[in-house]
Amino acid sequence: MRLREARLTYQTKAGNPLEAVSPTTLTIRAGEFTALVGPSGCGKTSLLRMIGGLIPVSGGEVQVFGESPKEAQRHKRLGLVFQEPALLAWRSVEDNVRLGLQLNPKETHSSTDVHELIDIVGLTAFRRYRPAELSGGMQQRVALARALAIDPPLLLLDEPFAALDEITREQMRYEVQRLWGISHDPTDPPRSAIFVTHSVPEAVAVADRVLVMSPRPGRIIADIPITAPRPRRPEHEHSDRFVNDTAIVRAALRSPTTPAVPLDAA
Amino acid sequence: MVSEPLRELDHLDAEATGRIPLGPPDVRPMLAWVLPPLIALLLLAVAVEIWVRVAEVSIWVMPRPTTVVENFFTDFGLYFTEGLKTLGVSLGGLAIGTAAATLLAAGVAHSNILERAVLPIAIMVKVTPVVALIPLFIIWLGHGWNPKIAIAALIIYFPVLINAIAGFRDVDPRMHDFFRSVDASTWEIFRHLRLPAAIPYLFASLKISVTLSLIGAVVAELFLSGHGGLGAVIWIEQNNLRLEKVFAAVLMLTLIGVTLSTAVVLAERLFSWRLDQPVAAA
Repeated sequence: MRLREARLTYQTKAGNPLEAVSPTTLTIRAGEFTALVGPSGCGKTSLLRMIGGLIPVSGGEVQVFGESPKEAQRHKRLGLVFQEPALLAWRSVEDNVRLGLQLNPKETHSSTDVHELIDIVGLTAFRRYRPAELSGGMQQRVALARALAIDPPLLLLDEPFAALDEITREQMRYEVQRLWGISHDPTDPPRSAIFVTHSVPEAVAVADRVLVMSPRPGRIIADIPITAPRPRRPEHEHSDRFVNDTAIVRAALRSPTTPAVPLDAA
Repeated sequence: MVSEPLRELDHLDAEATGRIPLGPPDVRPMLAWVLPPLIALLLLAVAVEIWVRVAEVSIWVMPRPTTVVENFFTDFGLYFTEGLKTLGVSLGGLAIGTAAATLLAAGVAHSNILERAVLPIAIMVKVTPVVALIPLFIIWLGHGWNPKIAIAALIIYFPVLINAIAGFRDVDPRMHDFFRSVDASTWEIFRHLRLPAAIPYLFASLKISVTLSLIGAVVAELFLSGHGGLGAVIWIEQNNLRLEKVFAAVLMLTLIGVTLSTAVVLAERLFSWRLDQPVAAA
């Protein structure tokens, strides 16, 4: 996954261009779990949506496995999970998980066993339930299973646990690592993930690499490797190494950032 | 998601989208709902009966409720046959109007240009009392069923159109993002996202349009009094000053209206139940 000078500029109502994401160059290796942290409004979600092809870049280029994001969508290489589960209320858990396989069927190459996947996320007893009958955490597991059903080489997670209670949230950060590691086809390259969050402990717990963003204009101001071995367990969060890593990320977040500058004719 | 002209129907949306689980109906609360209005209606009839008898009101002004009910049963065959005709017009208009409006709404939901072209016309039709077009429809479509069905269809067209557009557009943007992320086609997005999302809205508009289509049918029958239906019965018997027959025909219309509305509510209840209850666990 490669970004080259990719940027995003909005036209404000007053007619001034507002730089949401300033030119960003970035490479993410196959199998890397990357967390993107920053305060609200720093453009981290915009950056993720640019990579996912949901908003077009204003300049520069995004490549996902050598393709444009639109081509990556066409070949079903992207697994998206949002802050809200965004499940279809009229479908059962099972049929929600199946959705990605069902759409754009000529590109469905993975032979995912939906029942097995539901079992992996621990919802076998609920597979015929409707989303409204599940807790928020269970709904988000369904959303994860739905994203994984197409066996995507890249998972794009946009604050997936932000709407959950703290207890569920702390479980889910280990759940997502387990699911990220599960690939249907062992000959595939290892799966990559980009995880947007505003929680520093969450980022450090899940990621191999934490990218810190600052707002106005949104840009990456730090790139911090997290080398704690995998698989990680919740106890890891009590280790000195974890405390150290969160301190580094927090320091990067606090570092002086350039003030908002209007994007003139420059 | 919904553009401005549609805001006036916001009060429908809460009802349409409220995803409150509706269980299988329990009889006791239903009695609690049905009994009070029945008793009130009975008291009203008794009051009118007493008034007509005591004040010796002329039969050409107000018939006795007991006479109306008596006539309703003695001439039941007439009211039933004519009622079926009215019901046919109403259902025909409902089917054609709903189908046409839903199709146009599907187009409008996908095209801003179509929306800009069509909505002003639709609003013009809405503010025009379409029953005023009945004489024209008679000229164009003849004296049979056609002008009546056309009026019934036209009178429901606008509410169905507006609700269907709102429904097709009431789509969670994140759900839409997921469909895009796997390169789903416009048809797939419509079939698996917009159409199911619109179903509650379609039920909301159906609730309004069953009664509207009945109004359209009756008014058209008043004009076309040589061609049957309860509207024609009312027109003819009013000329004969047989007010008990007028009232009996109105009573039959009320029964048809209640039946249609109840059918829609039951269909919606069945649907909502399917929406929110688990399918029997395997």
